[in-house]
Amino acid sequence: MEEPVDTATAILASAAVLLRERMFDDISYRALADEVGISERTIYRQYPTRAHLLAALSNWIEQTSFPLPPFVTVSDFRAAVHERFRAFDTLPAYAYVGARASAISPTLDTEPAYITRAIEAMLDVAAPTLNRRDRRRIAASLRYFSSAMFWARLRTGFDLDAGDICDAFDRAVDTVLAKLPDATRAEP
Amino acid sequence: MTIAELSGTQEAILAAYAELIEEVGSDDVSYRVIARRAGIAERTVFRNYPTRVDLLLATAAWIEATLFAREESHSIFDIPLAVREAMQRYDARPELAHVVAETAMRGVSGAAPSPGRAHLERLLDAEVPTLDAAQRRAVIAALSHLDSAGTWVTFRREFGLDRRDIADAAAWAAEAVLDTIRDRVTR
Repeated sequence: MEEPVDTATAILASAAVLLRERMFDDISYRALADEVGISERTIYRQYPTRAHLLAALSNWIEQTSFPLPPFVTVSDFRAAVHERFRAFDTLPAYAYVGARASAISPTLDTEPAYITRAIEAMLDVAAPTLNRRDRRRIAASLRYFSSAMFWARLRTGFDLDAGDICDAFDRAVDTVLAKLPDATRAEP
Repeated sequence: MTIAELSGTQEAILAAYAELIEEVGSDDVSYRVIARRAGIAERTVFRNYPTRVDLLLATAAWIEATLFAREESHSIFDIPLAVREAMQRYDARPELAHVVAETAMRGVSGAAPSPGRAHLERLLDAEVPTLDAAQRRAVIAALSHLDSAGTWVTFRREFGLDRRDIADAAAWAAEAVLDTIRDRVTR
């Protein structure tokens, strides 16, 4: 783990350490302040509500533990998502924080995630003449099936491991891409 | 505990909390304020829901079962319609939709992430009983995932879609999943 360079990051690093032994709900600002060696007030200044802390912690975990491999083609996209689902399986507590943070009411004006833009760019290359409505529907579906939410739902609700989750993901991607009209696909 | 087993007092607490979430957000609501809104003593709230997590999970389940209740579908091929209607209901109550989506994503200590799963399985098994285990699981998983508040949150947040476009995209995706099994129906 890299040395935190500032207070905000130091707080997130300590929260991530605490997350290895307890749930996010059980990490109090008091315990976090003790762990970092700062005052509780300083944490409130950085993260006024637990929703702010959750969102920031999720971003930080995503960057440090679950970096998304870049992708251009559909098969690269599948491989990148598989790699991420397998990483989630090794650090489930971290992955649940990501799934949860992506479901809360946004605390700030949040930008779409990098993966969203990458999926849209991938579709522009794979199906350059697709109409706007279909492209948006396909992009939104691919985005949602590649999310931490999908992993979390299948792991908790269906008791599946990463291998089975990757299989369900591949089948979902197949069903969505089957709707791409052939005429819109780029020449190989 | 299912919704039918809730006491009148419990229902009053959950309804009061849901109202307050829509007014001020889930973070800032104290037990005292919930008790006052429900017209009961604060200790009664504590006796029924000892921790905030207990209260939040019970409230999310109540919201899902009452305010966001599905009309019963009689065919797996009706699910896209149900998804479309659910998205419109989520859009009308955005704060509550976020609460439902978030509690379902909490991992081991969260609400059931796929509450309609058993119903989907019954419909699918009745109409398309010939699927192999992996296919069946993939269809159920995809439809459960699409028929949830998480869809509404993701489509709105990541793509800035409005009510009509979210309902359209979610129903379209559910149709895409069903397209793979349309020719497998037996009756």
